[in-house]
Amino acid sequence: MSVTRADVDRIAELARLRFDDDEADRLTGEMNRILEHADRLRAADSGGEDAAGAAGSTGGVVPSDGAPGERASSDHDVRGARADGADGRDQLVRPPADFSPRFEEGFFVVPPPHGVQAES
Amino acid sequence: MSESTLEDAVARIRAAEDGESGLNAFLSLAGAPPSAPEGRAGASPGQGGGTGALAGALVAVKDNLVTTDLPTTCASRVLEGYRSPFDATVVRRVRDAGGLIVGKTNLDEFGMGSSTENSAYGPTLHPVDRTRVPGGSSGGSAAAVAAGYVPMALGSDTGGSVRQPAAFCGVVGIKPTYGRVSRYGLVAYASSLDQVGTFGATVADAATLLRVVSGFDPRDATSVDRPVPDFTASAVSGSVEGLVVGVPEEYFPPTLHEGVGSRVRAAVKALEAEGAVVRPVSLPATDLAIPCFYVIAPAEASSNLARYDGVRYGTRAEGTSVVEMYERTRAGGFGVEVKRRIMLGTYALSAGYYDEYYGNAQRVRRKIRDDFARVFADGVDMLVTPTTPEPAFRLGEKTDDPVQMYLSDVFTVTANLAGIPGMSVPVGTVDGLPVGAQLLAPWWHEGTMIAAGAAIERRLGGSAR
Repeated sequence: MSVTRADVDRIAELARLRFDDDEADRLTGEMNRILEHADRLRAADSGGEDAAGAAGSTGGVVPSDGAPGERASSDHDVRGARADGADGRDQLVRPPADFSPRFEEGFFVVPPPHGVQAES
Repeated sequence: MSESTLEDAVARIRAAEDGESGLNAFLSLAGAPPSAPEGRAGASPGQGGGTGALAGALVAVKDNLVTTDLPTTCASRVLEGYRSPFDATVVRRVRDAGGLIVGKTNLDEFGMGSSTENSAYGPTLHPVDRTRVPGGSSGGSAAAVAAGYVPMALGSDTGGSVRQPAAFCGVVGIKPTYGRVSRYGLVAYASSLDQVGTFGATVADAATLLRVVSGFDPRDATSVDRPVPDFTASAVSGSVEGLVVGVPEEYFPPTLHEGVGSRVRAAVKALEAEGAVVRPVSLPATDLAIPCFYVIAPAEASSNLARYDGVRYGTRAEGTSVVEMYERTRAGGFGVEVKRRIMLGTYALSAGYYDEYYGNAQRVRRKIRDDFARVFADGVDMLVTPTTPEPAFRLGEKTDDPVQMYLSDVFTVTANLAGIPGMSVPVGTVDGLPVGAQLLAPWWHEGTMIAAGAAIERRLGGSAR
């Protein structure tokens, strides 16, 4: 399975990235070299299991931690600790206006979609 | 410990880092005045100290763990100067235990890399040989411990990013069982693989820090509620008498650096001398681990990094439309390797290719996990392997060929894919460069590998520092 330059352009659009021609051509070659190794996965004997059944959301890496509702003891009882908000959630130490590029009247402000004039 | 102790420590580190032998291990230091060009920002001193398991111990924190008092950049331009509005759970736990956080350490951008050369703020240098890499992605944390700036540090390990730099730098590095340590506040790279890990100048240091940060956190949906054993006790008074140690043949290929192989075999002998029983084993799916990892990790990364779009936080590049803003922000903010992995991941998850790449990778992941489960069920208590196929390589040696860089993770990615704990312990040097042996234990049995690591440390002399 090889990746073409057209594929790279399409994937870049999906990934919200942009490349100049030289970058895109180089990336096409690199992706093909990397995917040559990934092609070995096709030849592996999967034993007929489908991906979802075989792996689960974390590849089956998290063993069961007991019956539902059971809680083991823990050195860290964080359930009531350091959750400063009235609803038990973390309070942010600074508001969105402090760390966002543009925040006005409770909204994150961005340019309009292409071809749409911003409201004055 | 007092405020002045942290200030003194920071002053010492700054003097060393600003001098000719500086390693570029830190991206920001506590208690310094704000300084925009180098990305070093200020923070109010006065934290930690007093009583607690870390009582005044100096700790460095990898710069992909969020902190409210220091920037979190993930070594990326897209988060340049970003100040998190909350602290990571592990950061809170370090402070609650009395640890003094001296600063945020350098890394490969968003954890993607094995050398720290992918940092947007320059690579970290190897503490022993400044022409070489310290490893990655947690290279700054490993170098900070190896250089003696701090006795312990936090890192993160998605495919070996704690164990590999620990091996390269001659310090101890531990990756816990998936779910042992909260990921709340760890900037996500690959959510089914990421774990916070610990570095220490000694096994006991790394084990103590692990104990402090471990434990259930309701803020992390993948955090598992299990008691946290006393890992410090495992390091100090654990025994390997009667331990069955497996040596998997697939981790000793003909291409393994001869010096690395001989040092690791010496570590196996050290365990035998302490009463362990050694057995050869086989993990047949090992040779598929790299292609498996380098499909799954980029796929998850492409989703996790979609949030860096200039809308709510971080760098924003202006555009005449919102899509142009997204594209210019991301193209200008991300480095080459991050963009490469986002592209790979997006392709692997795209319509028509999902099952061929991601589906197959998940099926192979199950085989890798089952290999370990079978060996452990067969009576093996722990495995010993090399951590890396060679000692630290030179700066620039692998940057032109991404596949060569990926192949350097061949021995470490399996533990992340299976979710088992792993650690690297120093086992000597080859031509003056540190070598690490990797210990892999069954799920939730960090204590076993910590006790074994301590035994190796006693027999072989420990850190190269």
